[in-house]
Amino acid sequence: MGMIQFDVLTISGAILLIATFGVIARRGFMDWLNAYRLQSIVLAVVTAIIGYVTGIWEIYIAAGLTFVIKSLVIPKVLTHVTKSLEIESKTDFNPYLSLRASIIVSAFLVTMSYFLSQQIPFKSDPVVNVFLPVSMAQFFLGLFALVNRRTALSQVVGLLVIENGLFLFTLVLTHGVSLIIEVGIFADILVGIVISSILLFRMSRTFDSLDVDRLENLRDD
Amino acid sequence: MNSISANLTIVFLLLTPLVGGILVTVFRKKRIIEIVTICSASLILIQVFFILYAIINEKTLSAFGNAFYIDSFGAVILLPISIVGFVSVLYSKNYMGRQYDIGLVDDKHIVRYYQGLSIFLLSMLIVPITNNLGVMWVTVEATTLISVLLIMLYFKENAIEAAWKYLIIATVGLSFALIGTVFFYYANISAGSSEDAMNWTGMVHNSKLFDPNLVKIAFVFILVGYGTKAGLAPMHTWLPDAHSEAPTPVSALLSGVLLNCALYGIIRFHIVSSGTLGPAFSNQLLIILAVVSIGIAAASIYFQKDMKRMLAYSSVEHMGIVSLGIGFGGMFGIYGALLQIINHAIAKPLMFFASGTVSQKYETKVMSKIKGIIKVMPITGALFLIGGFALVGMPPFNIFLSEFLVLSSGFQSGQFLVTMIVISFLVITFAVFLRHLIKMTFGNPVLEMKKDDMGNLAIIPMIILATLVIIFGFYIPEQLQTLLHNASSIINGGSIT
Repeated sequence: MGMIQFDVLTISGAILLIATFGVIARRGFMDWLNAYRLQSIVLAVVTAIIGYVTGIWEIYIAAGLTFVIKSLVIPKVLTHVTKSLEIESKTDFNPYLSLRASIIVSAFLVTMSYFLSQQIPFKSDPVVNVFLPVSMAQFFLGLFALVNRRTALSQVVGLLVIENGLFLFTLVLTHGVSLIIEVGIFADILVGIVISSILLFRMSRTFDSLDVDRLENLRDD
Repeated sequence: MNSISANLTIVFLLLTPLVGGILVTVFRKKRIIEIVTICSASLILIQVFFILYAIINEKTLSAFGNAFYIDSFGAVILLPISIVGFVSVLYSKNYMGRQYDIGLVDDKHIVRYYQGLSIFLLSMLIVPITNNLGVMWVTVEATTLISVLLIMLYFKENAIEAAWKYLIIATVGLSFALIGTVFFYYANISAGSSEDAMNWTGMVHNSKLFDPNLVKIAFVFILVGYGTKAGLAPMHTWLPDAHSEAPTPVSALLSGVLLNCALYGIIRFHIVSSGTLGPAFSNQLLIILAVVSIGIAAASIYFQKDMKRMLAYSSVEHMGIVSLGIGFGGMFGIYGALLQIINHAIAKPLMFFASGTVSQKYETKVMSKIKGIIKVMPITGALFLIGGFALVGMPPFNIFLSEFLVLSSGFQSGQFLVTMIVISFLVITFAVFLRHLIKMTFGNPVLEMKKDDMGNLAIIPMIILATLVIIFGFYIPEQLQTLLHNASSIINGGSIT
């Protein structure tokens, strides 16, 4: 493993982390979607780099799938959904935590991911060393985005970021050996997006809003 | 069984619901698709009995070069899937037909419903027969997506809310399960396994060599992940919503079968983790989650006003009892837990069907508005009582036996405090559930209602289940005993070898 390769890994990992922050630091839904698209493109490149470093050709397929599904198909579907929703339901509410606080929390989460991945006994392997903490950071940032946002649409994006983290995590630790599982994950994500789009349509029609705080009929009192 | 006939068995089992779903899509006529789905469900039932017979004789069945692997434990999960699948499809004809008649659903919904039902059955059938733990995760995730589609069949506010919560919570929860699965895979690779490191059989074989710290972290992730899907508290919050807003036959499948599939995942990893760490670690975690689940269920049932939500919380309680049995361990506890899985899978759908018919008749699910079921619907009322008595664990019905086994294994393993706490929760649930049950069944109906049991096809599935509830209270067939015994030693064996 040459020094140059290690540098390429580190730099691409850093870019991926920055792209993930892009999803946290934006307000409007379309900005979010663009940030997600950018993140997915970076993820596809990172996947291809991992494929090159490990020399396993199946990983190139995963990279291609990532690019097509996550940076082309899913953003297109979600853009289509937002366009056809009624306008008033699109108004984005402020997140529970302000943007500034969100960034601080996110920085904390990234630190935690690096700390956690050092606790877990892994063999030293440059791919694992660089990308495992990044994938965990993506996972936690996605979780944070999911609970911090009020509208159902932005929850979907949170879910997608979580899924990107999971994908990278699986790839790094399994080295793409189980392609069938990755294809399964892709299929799940695609179907999941279609289903949540249908749900979003219905929600905007029956509740006149996508504010998840309105979802409180079902309670035990 | 030779490998060709094993392959064919698996292919036919999986093709049946798939072809059923395709035929539903092709024909689109309500009458025909009902018949097609009933046929495919009964074919599945027959095939599962055939597989069970093979498993009892030969212990395991593997197909396609170990990609599919059924052992006695898988068979124990397969049995309720086929039985509940069959009765739910039977009950669907009447239930959905009635919704159709009153205009709540149209032809398009009916087609979508039966398609969903077939694919739902297909994905649940894959869970206990696949050897690849990654594929298992993918199919469990697929069950979430399909059941979300089935829940949001009605264009109602509550159904949409329940479906959304279920989708988000279950998907996030299951992502933890994937992380756990990948950790186990990595432990297996690091221990030197090369081929098919995702396969459960390989993992159990290698489990002694795994890194203990990695396995600890991995099992916690698995427990949170599949525990969310299995409705173990405190990750159960989606369950009462989803189970109460789904169409009744789907509620029966969700409660009676799908929860078992998720628990199945936990127990499979429990076996692997016991191989590495010894059983104490995972047992302790399972017992903690079990006690919390049983306690929260007792409190929620105490304050419950809605009939279907009460049944949903009772599922949380029963999943807790199953985990408790596994956690106490020993042949008694595990045998009891597996028996509890089957008993719950029989009694809960019976109760859901009865309450579905009742709520169609009374047009409400609020318990205080339902009175005198036995006068209005004599047969349904009687079946409702049998199901309810079984669920609270009253002798001589089936659940009494399995709960008794689980609790006595608690005393046997010396966990007196935990067992006493659980017993006190169960006593609360018993009293409150029974009070609700009796208030609804007896007394005089508020409004004048025509005496009517809502059609034979609503009654027959309930009678099938009620018969099983009563029979299993007295007598468990010898074949089933052998199966349960073998399955218990698989789960227990993980801790011995």
